[in-house]
Amino acid sequence: MNEKGKSLTLFTFLVYLFLIAPLLIITVTAFGQSEFLKFPPDSFSIRWFLNVFEVEMFMRTFLISLEVACIATFIALLVGIPAAYVISRYRFRGRKILESFFLSPVLIPQIVFGFSLFNYLVIKLRLPVFTGLLIGHTIFIIPYIIRVISASLANFDYEIEEAAVIFGANRIKTFFMIVLPNISSGVVAGFILAFINSFNNVPISVFLTGPGVSTLPIQMMSYVEYYFDPTIAALSVLLMGMTTVLMFIIERSLGLSYFTSK
Amino acid sequence: MALLSLDDLTVSYGDNTVLENFNLEINQGEFVSLLGPSGCGKTTTLRAIAGFVNPGSGRIVFMGKDYTNIPVHKKQFGFVFQNYALFPHMSVFDNVAFGLKMQKTPVAEIKKRVQEMLELVGLEGFAQRHPGELSGGQQQRVALARALVIKPDLLLLDEPLSNLDAKLRVEMRVEIRNIQQQLNLTTVYVTHDQEECFSISDRVVVMKDGKIEQYDQPEVIYRYPMTEFVARFVGFENFLDLKEKDGRLVTNNGIEFKLDRNDELAKYRVAVRPDDIVIKEVGGDRTANVLTAKVKISTFLGKEYQYLVETELGEFVVNAATVNRIKNGEQIELYFPEENIRIVKEAL
Amino acid sequence: MKYRLHYLLLIPAILFLILFLVIPLFITLLSTVRTDGGWTLSRYPVFFQDFYLRDIYFRTLKIAAITTLAAAVMGFPTSYYISRTAKKYRGIYIILAVFPLLTSPVVRSFSWMIILGKNGIVNDFLVRIGFIGEPLNLLYTEFSVIMGLLYLFLPLMILSLVGVMENIDSELLRAAESLGASRLTAFLKIVLPLSLPGLVIGASLVFTGSLTAYTTPMLLGGDKTQVLSTLVYKNALALFDWQQASLVASIMVITTFTVVISINWFSGKFNRGEAG
Repeated sequence: MNEKGKSLTLFTFLVYLFLIAPLLIITVTAFGQSEFLKFPPDSFSIRWFLNVFEVEMFMRTFLISLEVACIATFIALLVGIPAAYVISRYRFRGRKILESFFLSPVLIPQIVFGFSLFNYLVIKLRLPVFTGLLIGHTIFIIPYIIRVISASLANFDYEIEEAAVIFGANRIKTFFMIVLPNISSGVVAGFILAFINSFNNVPISVFLTGPGVSTLPIQMMSYVEYYFDPTIAALSVLLMGMTTVLMFIIERSLGLSYFTSK
Repeated sequence: MALLSLDDLTVSYGDNTVLENFNLEINQGEFVSLLGPSGCGKTTTLRAIAGFVNPGSGRIVFMGKDYTNIPVHKKQFGFVFQNYALFPHMSVFDNVAFGLKMQKTPVAEIKKRVQEMLELVGLEGFAQRHPGELSGGQQQRVALARALVIKPDLLLLDEPLSNLDAKLRVEMRVEIRNIQQQLNLTTVYVTHDQEECFSISDRVVVMKDGKIEQYDQPEVIYRYPMTEFVARFVGFENFLDLKEKDGRLVTNNGIEFKLDRNDELAKYRVAVRPDDIVIKEVGGDRTANVLTAKVKISTFLGKEYQYLVETELGEFVVNAATVNRIKNGEQIELYFPEENIRIVKEAL
Repeated sequence: MKYRLHYLLLIPAILFLILFLVIPLFITLLSTVRTDGGWTLSRYPVFFQDFYLRDIYFRTLKIAAITTLAAAVMGFPTSYYISRTAKKYRGIYIILAVFPLLTSPVVRSFSWMIILGKNGIVNDFLVRIGFIGEPLNLLYTEFSVIMGLLYLFLPLMILSLVGVMENIDSELLRAAESLGASRLTAFLKIVLPLSLPGLVIGASLVFTGSLTAYTTPMLLGGDKTQVLSTLVYKNALALFDWQQASLVASIMVITTFTVVISINWFSGKFNRGEAG
């Protein structure tokens, strides 16, 4: 402890105040009484929380976001797990390049990706809006899946796979009976990370939403443009609650050290 | 006829050929060890027998049938891995039962056989534990039980004791040998530990660079190494070149050496253990098999001294239980008793 | 194993990415150099000749650079502190850094609208203590965008640095001190060089993130302080000038890749220099 001086402790405290305070401010504001966002509020109520459920657009887009995030994550898992398995398990020429290719969607500016998909899927191919939205989300969360699954496969001892084979399991049985159960925490964490990123996405959705099909973050952005009441703050608090639960699951499954060891 | 034979087996990883035209025969009920330094191809041989690596050419014949291309999971082989490779998400019971379940054995029978096997390896009462809750030795026993319970046609063990401490290693090897004899199991065992290998095996394959140097009973290998490599491996540290002159064998500086055996060779290289050379005072009446030497370094080993001595023919290592330490620089004579001298093929 | 069937498992992922990432991007990039009859590169210089567009381009770069610098200055000491904290408590700091990262960017940017708005906390405070008479226009400025982006990406910097600093053995510092280095010298000679890889990763994440972020500049910069990403959106969905949107999008892609590649190149060169 003697390496940490008093000034360093104070500095760290201030930096963390910077990280935490805005979210605390939102939370306190959400419990305000007045029509306007005010911190600290003059009086407290939960009317804006109730109001969240009154705004029909929020409820509808929440369900759409949920649906898109779930389906996109599911498809990304179906596509991503086998790919992550092969690039972690086997050594072959071009493996590194392929890995970079699978992770490349994070390198593309999302707004550019959204615009390009919009141009291609909606304008050129005339796909339904929802399909386009789903495809966009699936592609951009594939890297999250591949990265998390690869990380948990890195700790997987392939000798136990050989053990299963020699005791009579074929390759497919081995995968489902031995490999999958041992990376289940990675699958859960990958699901949640992908889910959160899909659920929170704006830049891709902003191009791929259309008449009748919008997501919650998009709806929140347009709400903020016109109204400045604590409804959004209340909704934010509810979303933070969701984040808390999901983070808890990640902590349980993958361990938060995943975030510091990229 | 042999139970298992490898005929002209060639195995390579990419450009690296590990085994080339490799031949080996193993009989029913035999315990055969593959011994050699790392990289000699012993593990590859074992993995080829199991089917984890595919030979580029050659055949594996088992019980008279061609086994070369039979998928791993269709063979009835037991395998014990170096790191045990227990299924971490399954209990001890489920680990051991795995092979039986794959064979669709009735549940009642699985229960009975797993129970019997756990008793055999001394793990009754551990059935519901998970591998992570067991010690290294216990994990080793589970791995063994898992391989034995399927009544394998062939048991393959890949350095199974290398992760255990010395005392446990000795205990386990006795146990493995007992079980193997009890069940009359044909076994192939990979190790780099000479003592372990000699104590447990019926026959030993000493390997180097993907080739067999010698394949024989442990006693024969220990006493009569055929090549310089094997000789060094089993503790022969002194080597001497002899040539034929007027029907006698002499060293390069003309001293006659009498040998136990007289093989017909153009060139003789002989090997002697440090313990098998006798130190004498200068001036004995014997002249054959004697070299004069000077002590360079002496080390106290406990029951004896080890001397590094210098002769006209190079340095020798001699272990001798002399009463007092012979001083450095002192002149001595080395006597090589003829029954202790082995003719070996030179290393390439 | 002989027939290498397992490589078939790669096909869905490869197909997905080619169909829905490579082809659409390629079309966008291609459209910027196509004319009715042939090819042209002239649209790129034209973009940079336009003062308005050039301003937006360099403003975006400037904002990203300042954000990165601020994140490094705030993140480095903080991460060092965290890395020297007992493992038990380190988790709490990590959780507090990860939590904002997983919270919706809309929520996070919105919090700064409350803080920096006309009736926001900052103005309220400054007016109350009499420092200013009228509330300042803090929102929709470069300042508010930078604050928002810093808030968005500081956790990434901290997590990258902690990941590397955790592995620096405290004994190394003691060893340096035992050899006569002052505490400051030990820090500069030991901690700084050893944490450079984390700093490079963190800086490239923050810089490319700030360069391409959309939500935060949209909410905190609006029409007044445009950046490249909001420009793409405006051209595409407000002005319906897809040609121009494609051009801005391509410039963003080229800039991002140039930055990523040069950071990799420089850090690779640097590391090799260290080793040799």
